[in-house]
Amino acid sequence: MLKSLVRIIKAGTATQKEILPDQSPESRGLPAVNRDAWENRDRERGYDWTKLCPTGAITVRQSDSKDELDLDLDLGRCIACGLCPDISPEGIIEKNLSTKTAVKNRRDLILSTGQPKEKTSQNPAPPQAKENIFQGSVAIRVVSTGCSACDLEVSAAFNPIFDMERFGIQLVASPRLADILMVTGPVGKGMQKALMRTYEAMPEPRLVIAVGSCAISGGMHGEKNYASTGGVDAILPVDAYVPGCPPHPWSIIHAVMTVMDHKQLSK
Amino acid sequence: MKITADQIKNIAKHDLRHELKQRLKNKDNRLGLVTSIDGEQVLTLVLDCADKTAELWQSDLEGASEYPAVSPVVPQAHWFERRLKDLFHIEPTGHPRLKSTFTENAFDGNLAPLALDQNKKAPGPRDFSYLKVEGKGVYELPVGPVHAGIIEPGHFRLSCQGEVIQNLELKLGYLHRGVEKRLTEIPWKLSRHLCEQAASDTAAANALANAIALEALLEIEISETARRARTIALEIERLAMHIADVGGMAVDLGIAAEASTLSRLRGQALRMAELLSGSRFLKGFICPGGINVNSDFAGERTRIALKSLHAELSPALYEVLHTFTDNTYVQERLENTGKIPHSLAEEFGLVGPAARASGIAYDTRTTFNQGLYKDILLEPALEKSGDALARTLVRVKEIETSITILEKLLEESLDEAASAVALPESLKANSFGVAIVEAFRGELIHLIATDSDGAIVRYVIKDPSLNNWTAMAIAVRNELIADFPVCNKSFSLSYSGHDL
Repeated sequence: MLKSLVRIIKAGTATQKEILPDQSPESRGLPAVNRDAWENRDRERGYDWTKLCPTGAITVRQSDSKDELDLDLDLGRCIACGLCPDISPEGIIEKNLSTKTAVKNRRDLILSTGQPKEKTSQNPAPPQAKENIFQGSVAIRVVSTGCSACDLEVSAAFNPIFDMERFGIQLVASPRLADILMVTGPVGKGMQKALMRTYEAMPEPRLVIAVGSCAISGGMHGEKNYASTGGVDAILPVDAYVPGCPPHPWSIIHAVMTVMDHKQLSK
Repeated sequence: MKITADQIKNIAKHDLRHELKQRLKNKDNRLGLVTSIDGEQVLTLVLDCADKTAELWQSDLEGASEYPAVSPVVPQAHWFERRLKDLFHIEPTGHPRLKSTFTENAFDGNLAPLALDQNKKAPGPRDFSYLKVEGKGVYELPVGPVHAGIIEPGHFRLSCQGEVIQNLELKLGYLHRGVEKRLTEIPWKLSRHLCEQAASDTAAANALANAIALEALLEIEISETARRARTIALEIERLAMHIADVGGMAVDLGIAAEASTLSRLRGQALRMAELLSGSRFLKGFICPGGINVNSDFAGERTRIALKSLHAELSPALYEVLHTFTDNTYVQERLENTGKIPHSLAEEFGLVGPAARASGIAYDTRTTFNQGLYKDILLEPALEKSGDALARTLVRVKEIETSITILEKLLEESLDEAASAVALPESLKANSFGVAIVEAFRGELIHLIATDSDGAIVRYVIKDPSLNNWTAMAIAVRNELIADFPVCNKSFSLSYSGHDL
């Protein structure tokens, strides 16, 4: 007992003081598109390198407006393998270490060199009227349908280092007490019923957060197969998406803050 | 290791049972796995730990979908044979209990997902029944699939009398995602990414098994430095996950101070993983041909950073682990809880810390070549009592060995680790690539079969949990309901690795 106390006092505060800091430079982070590099690219080189993406998240398509090509990078499919910043010529794809990666709209996960899309996330008012009732404090229920990496990172978000509870975010053991349903994994057919029942047991208003690339798009498991539905939004309305494989604990905290419309922290 | 078509031993399906029993009489031999390529044959992998070799047996089903089950004489095959029925519609006749290893909803029961003819008629309906315990005052307690904390899903049906568990029935398969089938559909060069997701807490071990199996089929050798980097990755993963498991035990026992310290120290182990690979889970790091790092990877810088973190982490870990295991409350609670005797562990072919806690000195790091362990003398961490305390103590010992191994491995430069060997375009045709890796949960096997064009026709992943789930179900018998979480945690099994 005494030993434990001494250790705890000696260790001091382990909790990170800076909120939503960037990931460390050694980390792979997520990829981002460098528009200038794309515009000044060597057009002779071709685009075969985009085919090396394991999940086909990078596509080159005819531009909507002008006679040009546009590059789309779908973070919802990206498994953060770290290949593309290295293989893309002239730094077209670069490393993004920000942990503020959660978005409310699936389309915002597609980074495009096309016309600057207005961020749709700010536009539609949250369905819970003007004052978001989730602003003060929320309770989360986690349902895992995947490979456990995302679950471990959600757990880590509650550990002494990240300490999600300090923002008024609480983990609950029953859907009856939950405001937010956090789903990880590609939702195999075996889990579909249990997931729906968890959702139905939650009181309204309720929100759903899809954590990780499998939950968003099926990831490496593909869009659909004999056993998998290929993502949460095939069966449930999703209010926020956190890309990554797995997302960093700070990104998971960012997702909750985003749906809470936390004034300083969700930006 | 590579096994070519002409090295396969053909054994008639009626003799399989007898042959396997004879072979396993020698304690150096182990049953690796039983499966099929496309539902037309039964494939048995037999490991020889003394010779450090593996043998593949093929038993043709001769157009039928039945064969005499081996489980009645080799009990450890029972889970594999249940899988044969689920995935291939092969009926092992005489199997003591041919219950499905998946939940009803995981996929359409008329489908044999991995069989050549996927719509092959099932020999009989699948069995999902729970064993019923009857008698005065007996009641059933259903738990899951969605559990109270942040854990993977699975269903437990406890039959209890008063506070005492009489029987536990498992229903798994909620996480079946069709991983093995998808591995035959995607290009082999990408397979490592999906293998990592077979069970992401075991990402490095799965990627390593994938790499070793593919390298056997590509007939290439990788550099010693890359091997060292891989070994470091595997040990960091073991360190991080064992810390998480001992920490989880502290949570379940209500020892908040040690639980909190261990979750903080696990963060440091994950930081080591990130320093080495750029990913907290070592994802995308190990690849066929060597390791995969960004172009700005500097071996020396990484090594020095890892060394200093290692020096900081190890004394802190020793202190907290010993405070935890010296606690008399912890000892009292775990001692004699969830006991698996040596004989049972042997009969059911347990692997990993669960086996070593029952006195079975089986650690594939010493028996099968998978890293640089041959240069480092390794004693398998052994305990004899087979209870939850023994399993916890084995993990604590293994954390200490991992710390020592890492210290040795970090002594030499990593500078040339990043230079990977160039890969040939195609895999060797009509062959099998086998990899046996000691993941933190125990023996992990990947087996890859190629056809005459060198394309992958079957990719088998045998997660260590597949061997151990039965033991967990047996261990909780006659324990209190309140001890169920403790028993479960002491095995710390994977759902996703089992369900695939």
